Amino acid sequence: MDGGICVEKKKICLLGAFAVGKTSLIQRFVNDRFGDKYLTTIGVDISQKLLAPFDSGNGRMCQYHLLIWDIAGMDRFDKVVESYYRGAAGALAVADLTRENTASGLTRICRNFRTVCPTAGILFIGNKADLHPLKGPVSAVLEQVAESFGGQCRVTSAKTGAGVAEAFQLLAETLEKG
Amino acid sequence: MQAALSCLLAFKRIGIIRFARDLGLVDVDAQARRMLDLPAAGVGAESLPDLFPELIGNEASVRNVLAGKRTALHLEYVNRRDRQGELRFLDLLVLAGERKNEGLLAVEDVSGKGRMLQELTQQRHELLLYRNAVHFREHLISEAILGRSPAIEKVRRMIRKISRVPSATVLLSGESGTGKNLAARVIHHSSMPAEAPFVEINCAALPDNLMEAELFGYEKGAFTNALSARAGLLQEAGNGTVLLDEIGELTVPLQAKLLSVLEERKVRRLGSNREVEIRARIIAATNRDLEREVSAGRFRQDLFYRLHVVAVRMPALREMDQDVLQIAEHLLKVFAIEFKKKSVRGFTPAAQKRLLNHSWPGNVRELRNCIERAMIFTESQRIDADELTLLASRRNPARSLEIPPEGLDLEAVERQLIEAALQRSGRNKSRAAQLLGLSRDTLRYRLKKYGMG
Repeated sequence: MDGGICVEKKKICLLGAFAVGKTSLIQRFVNDRFGDKYLTTIGVDISQKLLAPFDSGNGRMCQYHLLIWDIAGMDRFDKVVESYYRGAAGALAVADLTRENTASGLTRICRNFRTVCPTAGILFIGNKADLHPLKGPVSAVLEQVAESFGGQCRVTSAKTGAGVAEAFQLLAETLEKG
Repeated sequence: MQAALSCLLAFKRIGIIRFARDLGLVDVDAQARRMLDLPAAGVGAESLPDLFPELIGNEASVRNVLAGKRTALHLEYVNRRDRQGELRFLDLLVLAGERKNEGLLAVEDVSGKGRMLQELTQQRHELLLYRNAVHFREHLISEAILGRSPAIEKVRRMIRKISRVPSATVLLSGESGTGKNLAARVIHHSSMPAEAPFVEINCAALPDNLMEAELFGYEKGAFTNALSARAGLLQEAGNGTVLLDEIGELTVPLQAKLLSVLEERKVRRLGSNREVEIRARIIAATNRDLEREVSAGRFRQDLFYRLHVVAVRMPALREMDQDVLQIAEHLLKVFAIEFKKKSVRGFTPAAQKRLLNHSWPGNVRELRNCIERAMIFTESQRIDADELTLLASRRNPARSLEIPPEGLDLEAVERQLIEAALQRSGRNKSRAAQLLGLSRDTLRYRLKKYGMG
């Protein structure tokens, strides 16, 4: 409890192929920053962010302290990757709107994630909207993948910030309380 | 043995953290303190997950290691930033301790190995991204600009060529709603580096003096409200693209300045003597007939010729024959996703006929609005003709009066048109006359003439 507000730590994972913008989405959400240069993530990098308090329903105010896991190595699934996923309350599954295989590839990644976290909510993200002037075929593939996992789909641009805070907020709203 | 082990651990830069069954910290050795930038005494954290949030979610696995149910728990390449902000990579290995109910966390600094792996992975990823970018740009042109008609094929061919010359100035012309803005974006994305900016400015939206300041920039004190210096959009676009939309609305004095920029590729901010180089590609777009504007003295001839070197005319939708159906199908899919109406799969033949017969004065914008409206209200699997709300069409004699090479029988055509009008109006003669642009009496006369009464 912090001044009458209960603070709950929630672990969420960013899933997706290389260079879809997982790190950039976190940088935009946590520090409101964007770096143009791509630097591939190795291993796991954790960022933290305290969300705005909300009424948990029984008159008590609650606040989520998000532990956001930026995970590399999506081309494998072993004990180490399992350890990264374990205990996650939710995930943002990210595809690059300019690379169709990053949307279709989420099926395998999310299936692996669900074997470790069967009840975790997944929100599907089509990132790099600034590079794609149209809603193209990647969006359609992403919608299909999202539907197969019972998840929703959103479009973001870590570069411009469009849709980023809304996506994290939407995922937070789907996390199980308590 | 203990001393040798300590020496080995220090040599291999491995720190040891001892912790209790409840994951509370027991001891952190000097090597671990150095790696984690911890003070010599005290830790500032009470439990292992406070020190390593990477272990959150894995508490049960850690306890299983302590209970001997599992040999170890390994987390590799955990990212940490030191006081200087430099990224370091740590390997974490949880093991059972020598004492009962106590565990050990071995922390190894693998930054050297991590950086090498990062560099190799980075090179591999960049190569894959480069290949993908080439593929994406090639496909963007055919994916973004829909249609198979000769008119749109010509546009696509021209854009492909333009995209290979990133410095060429381009003039996009065409009626409102034909996709000039989209074409400009496709040219930009297919010819520029991914990070290159796309700056759009509507020449009709700002008064002359503001437009000049926006385009060319200004120095502090150049005019009353110039409290600080600012670069203009032409400069801010860097090595990207500037779209000057509605170029036909630019005033003649500004046209002269723009011509100078296009010729010299240099710009001078308001209140400055220094010239700044302009590297951005300039795309101008207009729905006006610039040749006519030149004749009327409203557009500078020299600027027109300068812009007209690479000119692309976006065809009106009525010139694109069957393409209207392909574009409508695409829009239907887009709205089916947006409105979560995936059961809507297409159009009925009657709806397709209606889409083809309309002259689309508002072009793709009008078609988009029409499909959006239909998708909001439809409850069927296929959109029917009566679900398409069309705006009153401008008459389009060019489309209906096309004469086939083998010639035609005018009276037969007239009879067919009268019959079609009667069918569409439910045999209401007043409405049929209206559809044909005739008075009721004239229609009655023709019905009698052709024995159709």
